[in-house]
Amino acid sequence: MKRRKPNRCKTILEAEAYVPADSDFRLKDNREEMVPDASFTVQSVWLDAAKGYVQKASAVIGLVFIILIGIMAAAGPGMNAYTYSEQYLSQKNFAPRVRVLENFGIFDGGEVLKTGAGTKVVNRYKEKNLENVYYWFGSDNFGRDIWTRTWLGTRVSLIIAVAATVIDMVIGMSYGLISGYFGGWVDMVMQRFLEIANGIPRLVVVTLLLMALEPGMLTVMLALMLTEWMGMSRIARAEMLKLKEQEFVLASRTLGAGCFFIIFREILPNIMGPIITQVMFSIPTAIFTEAFLSFAGLGIPVPQCSLGSLIAEGFNSFTAHPYQIIPPIAVMALLMLSFNLAADGLLKALDPKRKEV
Amino acid sequence: MAVNYSLKPLLKVEGLKQYFHVHPGGAVNQHRPANECTAINETRCVDFGIPGLRMPIRQQTVTVKAVEDVSFEIYPGETYGLVGESGSGKTTIGRSIIRLYNPTGGKIWFNGLDISRQMDKDTKKFLRTQMQMIFQDPMASLNPRKRAGRIIREGLEIHHSCRSRAERDARVGEILAKVGLTMEHGYRYPHQFSGGQRQRVGIARALIMNPQLIIADECLSALDVSIQAQVVNLMKDIQEETKTAYLFIAHDLSMVKYISHRIGVLHQGHLLETGTAEEIFEDPIHPYTKSLLSAIPVLNPVVAKKRIWKSYDKKTLGIDYSKGSYHLIGGMHYVKCTEDEFNRWT
Amino acid sequence: MAEEKEKILQIRDLDITIHTAAGSVHAIQGVDMDLIRGETAAIVGESGSGKSITMKAVMGILAGNASVKGSIEFCCYHEDGRREKVDILKQDKKWIRKHMNGKQIAMVFQDPMTSLDPTMSIGKQVMEGMIWHFKMPKKEAWNRGVRLLEEVGIDDAQKRMKQYPHQLSGGQKQRVAIAIALACNPELLICDEPTTALDVTIQARILELVQRIQKERGLSVIYITHDLGVVAKVADYVNVMYAGKIVEKGRADEIFFDPRHPYTWGLLSATPDMNGMDRRLDPIPGSPPDLLHECAGDAFSPRNPYALVIDDKMAPPMFQITDTHFAATWLLDPRAPKVEMPKELKARLNRMRKEAREYGSKL
Repeated sequence: MKRRKPNRCKTILEAEAYVPADSDFRLKDNREEMVPDASFTVQSVWLDAAKGYVQKASAVIGLVFIILIGIMAAAGPGMNAYTYSEQYLSQKNFAPRVRVLENFGIFDGGEVLKTGAGTKVVNRYKEKNLENVYYWFGSDNFGRDIWTRTWLGTRVSLIIAVAATVIDMVIGMSYGLISGYFGGWVDMVMQRFLEIANGIPRLVVVTLLLMALEPGMLTVMLALMLTEWMGMSRIARAEMLKLKEQEFVLASRTLGAGCFFIIFREILPNIMGPIITQVMFSIPTAIFTEAFLSFAGLGIPVPQCSLGSLIAEGFNSFTAHPYQIIPPIAVMALLMLSFNLAADGLLKALDPKRKEV
Repeated sequence: MAVNYSLKPLLKVEGLKQYFHVHPGGAVNQHRPANECTAINETRCVDFGIPGLRMPIRQQTVTVKAVEDVSFEIYPGETYGLVGESGSGKTTIGRSIIRLYNPTGGKIWFNGLDISRQMDKDTKKFLRTQMQMIFQDPMASLNPRKRAGRIIREGLEIHHSCRSRAERDARVGEILAKVGLTMEHGYRYPHQFSGGQRQRVGIARALIMNPQLIIADECLSALDVSIQAQVVNLMKDIQEETKTAYLFIAHDLSMVKYISHRIGVLHQGHLLETGTAEEIFEDPIHPYTKSLLSAIPVLNPVVAKKRIWKSYDKKTLGIDYSKGSYHLIGGMHYVKCTEDEFNRWT
Repeated sequence: MAEEKEKILQIRDLDITIHTAAGSVHAIQGVDMDLIRGETAAIVGESGSGKSITMKAVMGILAGNASVKGSIEFCCYHEDGRREKVDILKQDKKWIRKHMNGKQIAMVFQDPMTSLDPTMSIGKQVMEGMIWHFKMPKKEAWNRGVRLLEEVGIDDAQKRMKQYPHQLSGGQKQRVAIAIALACNPELLICDEPTTALDVTIQARILELVQRIQKERGLSVIYITHDLGVVAKVADYVNVMYAGKIVEKGRADEIFFDPRHPYTWGLLSATPDMNGMDRRLDPIPGSPPDLLHECAGDAFSPRNPYALVIDDKMAPPMFQITDTHFAATWLLDPRAPKVEMPKELKARLNRMRKEAREYGSKL
């Protein structure tokens, strides 16, 4: 008995030194205590998933960045006095300038301009003697603050992507669940419809829609919704087909539960894991699609902005003023990466097949 | 506990038939349990003449005759054990009776009401409250995302049987105590129970509607032997107290003996022999029953090592189930066979 | 005599801790076990008692989050007749895979539906091991595969080699799984609940098949099961396991006719008996302990109607009853009160003894 035991077992180790007395050798008579079942591990499903999630560093980093960007999208535009549409035509194309950092030689408002004669450093703030003017990310072609516009664009992109995906989820999930549960001809008709809808190229639908309707946030959301719900419905249907023959569903049927009770109260909670994961994976796709549409000029009307339209604007003066395109691109890249990391972590944490023993 | 056989039967099944039409590709027109593939469907192979390239082509629609002409009764407060190997149709019978399937043919009366056809609202409600089911896999039969208390009270919620929340909770507590669990267990999720406890929750869910008949579909086969005995004893105690009848479906005769008043032996969709537990165990007539009995593991190592299992092959014995009719042996003991077989076996 | 009693497997002080998110599980707590070449041992216990984990350790297929102590010595013969003792726990996984798994030790799993690869033909799966271990030409492997399938009682073996698992019934799948396990001529076959997923009639046939092959090939077999009925049929030597410890071990007749541990009494009382028409079984109350929460003393004490006060303070040591029979219960201590097994069980054992005598046993 020389094995090393974990700390918990101290009692046993001590007990081994214990010399049994004669009085110990009597029946305990514990018939009363023998209730059918003593304790068993208690751990909530979600707590378990949360623990699994936290163990994955990349997922936590992703989540932290999502939260940070979310906070900035909410608060960022209000952090200085500029608004997204105010134009100071006298203060066009100002390079980034930040109050403390300027003393260290960075973000001091100077930019390197390449001309035919060579390169020279220009500081427009000093040229125009604007001592108390600071554009943290610089200003754009119309003299608008890029900081304000970037975070506002982030806000717009996020709202569009999240709202569209959530609505997608509701539509797609219901569609898939109903189609999968009823099966037979209901499933047949619904699946054929889905295939036809899926057959029309996405870009065609979106372009037509944006041309037919007033451009704006709602229109972009509608366009995203119309094209994205199918993936969600497929997942919901597949999960439903897997679950509907499970005995707990049969048990519910023998208790006389109605179809919708079974679909939404028995099965739905069981597919939330894959659905949430899918939502997390869909959001970056939606952000990108929205950015792409805006970039192509089909998105948010000016002077409003989204990450896509900001990138498009910055793209025009990319060679002359590269600082204009960096903030929106960085935010978008970070956002997409974070969502993907977080989704990946969720996928692992919510995986029911995750076994340890 | 003695059963009064002079009463009107609680459940009467007459000539029950259950066929399934299987489409190629595995899609099935009814919810069919995966474990009951009586595999009549043949897979033919088309040879293209190129080695290795063979294409299986399934026939268009195949009828799987899961249950063929089965008749039996269950009396109030009785336990009827239905025994057969997988594919014999025993699970299908249970599910047809509780109307998870629509019977292809035959009649089922439950408490005098015909439940084999389209039911009206009252009959349906009666069926859904007075007949309940305990399932095979205690883990799969409990919704993993619901706490035990919610699982148990689901029936009350569906049928709005309780006026107040307090009444409902009291009822759940009472049932939990009855199956040997405490209120605290009601707050746990299914994966936080041990196998035996889970099956207790399954029993509690069935009991909460105070049913007259509980169909126990292989409710022991997923449990350890030591836990099986606990569950069997629990079910017997409950029967003692509530006078519930059981249709106890199992694939092996050993536990059935301890709970059943009468036993029916099922093979390939036919009920071959039925009688009281004593009659079946002490005087089996049908060779299939004898074979099943000889397959039961015995506990005695000396005997077990020497005993050999009696094999049974319908074809070599030349038995055609569909030709047979029920012959009375005595008491409640019937055997399905032809006149000729009857003379040979008895 | 010495040659006959050669141990093929010797497990000493096996101690396995599995680290999970919920905490460390001390799954195996000092297990000693022996298997004599050509004999059959059984490990009996409820689910969660650690019987599968022990055998996984023998196979070297434990998951990465387990830490193992102790020794598992396996005695194997090389092709040139050389004998070598190997401590499986000291070898790395790659070595085990190359020299042990399949070639020396093979395993048959509980569920044939999941242990066979649904996308691979039967033939390929049977041949896989032979081609990998012996670099056997395909043609030869095919012929041996056919012979193996015939040996395990599958008719039309040529045709079956080309079929896929879903085209076979459950019993046939388990036969194929056995054929795969036998493909590389292992010395030791481990059957992990080989019949729980099968019908009783098929169960009997599979057990008889393994027994026949064992006799023909001189295999050593370890059964893992929770069903004493299976144990009675196959085992020469029985290890009763509870909460990661072996609580009683002995030859089959000792365990069945003269059990000493209250847990074994409980298991025997809970197992249905075909003879005699008593209408009630006497189960062990409660459920197996959760090894996440370790407790001092005997893990069985909360479920044991014969628990002594000492059981809560100190775990019982192994008491020797005969040369081969051991039990870990304080009831065997000379100071303990004399406790008899339950009356019903005693009657049953007497009946069994009588029955055994009728069958020609000398008991």
